[in-house]
Amino acid sequence: MRRALAAAALAAALTPAAVHADSQQVLLPGPGPYPTPSPPLATVTPPAGANQTFRVHSSSGQRVRAGIDAAGRVVAVRVLQNLHLTGTGDYLIVVPAPVLEVRAGPGSQSQPGQRSGQILWAGFSSQRRLLSADATLRPGPVLPFLPLRLRASRDGDRYALTLANATETSQVTFQGAAEKPQLESLLDQTRRQSLARRRLTPAYVTISGLVSQRRQKPRIEAPLRVTGELRFPQAPSSATGGVVDGRSVRFSFVLGDEQPLTRRVEVTGGGEPHVHVEVTPTAVVRGLRPPGAANWRTSRLPADALLRRLIDTRMELVRSDQYQGFLANPDPLGRNTTSYVYETAAAHRPPPAADTSTGGGNGTLVVLLAIGGAIVAAGAGLVAWAHS
Amino acid sequence: MRRLAILLAGVAVLAAGCGGSSTSSSPKNLVIAVDVPVTGSPYIAQTIRQGVELATSNYNGGGGVRVGNQSYLLKVKLYDNHGSARQAVEDTRRALDAGAVTIVTDGTGVDATWQLAKQKGTSVAITYDGGSGLVDAQRRPNVFRIAPTNHGIAFRYAEYLIPKKLKVGLLADDSAYGREGAADIAKAFSENPKSVALKLTLPAGQSDLSAQILRAKRSGATALLVWGQPPTIAAVLSAARSIGWQVPVYAPPTGADPFVRQQLADHPSWVDGLTFASGRLTAEVGVGPFTNFQSQYEAAYGPDPVGVKTSDGQKVVQPPEFGMYSYDFIHVLVAALTHAGSVDPAKVTSALNQVTAQGANGDSRGFNEQSHEGVVDDDIYFARFHDMTYQPVHDDPLSATLPPIGQTR
Repeated sequence: MRRALAAAALAAALTPAAVHADSQQVLLPGPGPYPTPSPPLATVTPPAGANQTFRVHSSSGQRVRAGIDAAGRVVAVRVLQNLHLTGTGDYLIVVPAPVLEVRAGPGSQSQPGQRSGQILWAGFSSQRRLLSADATLRPGPVLPFLPLRLRASRDGDRYALTLANATETSQVTFQGAAEKPQLESLLDQTRRQSLARRRLTPAYVTISGLVSQRRQKPRIEAPLRVTGELRFPQAPSSATGGVVDGRSVRFSFVLGDEQPLTRRVEVTGGGEPHVHVEVTPTAVVRGLRPPGAANWRTSRLPADALLRRLIDTRMELVRSDQYQGFLANPDPLGRNTTSYVYETAAAHRPPPAADTSTGGGNGTLVVLLAIGGAIVAAGAGLVAWAHS
Repeated sequence: MRRLAILLAGVAVLAAGCGGSSTSSSPKNLVIAVDVPVTGSPYIAQTIRQGVELATSNYNGGGGVRVGNQSYLLKVKLYDNHGSARQAVEDTRRALDAGAVTIVTDGTGVDATWQLAKQKGTSVAITYDGGSGLVDAQRRPNVFRIAPTNHGIAFRYAEYLIPKKLKVGLLADDSAYGREGAADIAKAFSENPKSVALKLTLPAGQSDLSAQILRAKRSGATALLVWGQPPTIAAVLSAARSIGWQVPVYAPPTGADPFVRQQLADHPSWVDGLTFASGRLTAEVGVGPFTNFQSQYEAAYGPDPVGVKTSDGQKVVQPPEFGMYSYDFIHVLVAALTHAGSVDPAKVTSALNQVTAQGANGDSRGFNEQSHEGVVDDDIYFARFHDMTYQPVHDDPLSATLPPIGQTR
């Protein structure tokens, strides 16, 4: 609803009637609209009466665990969502998710319910209540909404892991003539909110004369802070893109925020690694740093460049905020935080080679049993990982 | 010309007969079985039956329920289980033979009947008995309940009483209901043994409990939590008050049974202060929805008289709490029929996990794949008697938000 309203406001600013106005207030991006419908994941429309949190408000903290195979493909997804309710009153909460199984997480003060595509909560909150859901999701529908793509490859004893920011999207926006002092002030305000990790507050910019759609849709992404470790059976001999630390290679960087959207970690030697990567949507820092000045009031950029910077960085902050809520928070104004963990789910086990020399039905049966066993073992590994 | 007329008539007949996907004009019957202890606990049996009939008559009055392309009238078939599990098994067989899409029951014999019903995919809906173990979404996927659970009541009592620093005497009668409740209460208080003054089993059906109550008093109990049938609760109050012991007495939903007040009608002050736990009758939206339901219920069947009067001579009536639960179940059932698009009992049972309906108290009612309980623990509130009627207590966060319901006429 908030997204729809904000989108409507932006559209209204770009209507012909608005174009002819001498001077007008145009709504800047932030706190909405989100550029894409998901995240948060959307599977069903909540029933009437659900999520009407007038008396009860909630903040959401989530940890998304993506199990990856040896090639870096996501094969399992599990989410721990803690909804911290405040206020006294009834609640009926529907969290859309392609859920396979859900159980109460640690410290939960209620039991979650499950329906097709929904996690359900119903009850009464007396001042404070923790609702913790530990949900296993179907990976297929979730994959497009995970913020990071991993790709692992091997060439002899060289192992390479490519990490790519997958949140990039393009968005329609506007351009026009704005006053430099107001833009500088808005950039300083946006920077303060970004550095304080606060959700943007609504802001307007005054445009004189023509307001038009910017010809080229800007590409924006959520800046992602990535930290990771590759643990090898033996100590690697060298690494680029990371630091060798005994049997491990560690790395840490931001994807986005005027830095590359893709990084590659290459390691020589060590064997097959266990991958552990943590990702958090983060603030825009570089994009809001005034070039050669302490604040934007003393910067020397022209007004049109300042407006572009203001809009683009605010859209990036909105995108970052969007990825803080992987599963929906029933309170549209509630605070969201999400961290994403990518971890090797199970060791890669190639199926045993078939011995065709002996021939006969027994040989075929042995091969089938061996393949079946490998599948069962991989499945058991996945289950064990999911419950670890 | 006559041949043409015959041909056209034949085409018309064929067209009517081939209407597999077209709308059928005449509604069919869909059987809902109600298996209750008509001759064992007539008040409970009556209120459950009337809740079902009120909901079904509302649907039937509007032309029935549309399932796919077919309309169905909901036909209620009543069975009397006499409070006997053996009779409940027999009733279940007959209900299944009659093609019942669901069996609404007080809970009698469900341990034995659910598997019979499951063989045909038929759901069993409990709207009275809160016994733990009756409902298990994984092991008994066709059993659902809309009624406060013993487990929930026990834990809500622990949450309510332990902070009061009372020394609670846990009394339970030796009926099946009492034994089950005693187990749940013992579990709920197990982490706070210092709050428990004694645990005592009372003989069900005995009207003189003086010796047991004297023992409870000597144990240092400063409150009694009595889990038993209505006669047991009346006997405890009678024994305590007759020796001048004004100990606060707490009870499960049976504390609100008209029988308790009827037994103590000569000593109305003995009922004063009795606190019971049950499912809330109103939701956050206020008394409106429940009052509407109660008005409909009373217009159809008349009020349920308790058989006592207030001090100023007004007749006391019983709000139709358990009638509300069976009424609500029918609404959830109809939502499931619509969702399933079929009257196949197995499909309807499966759909019961996926739907929500608005309950008579304004709250949402529904089940899900993890829980087949339609009354969650958080919905359990406490009410205290004064002058033969009760009001929600003010010292419990949920109860304090609930408005009182009118109980006099």
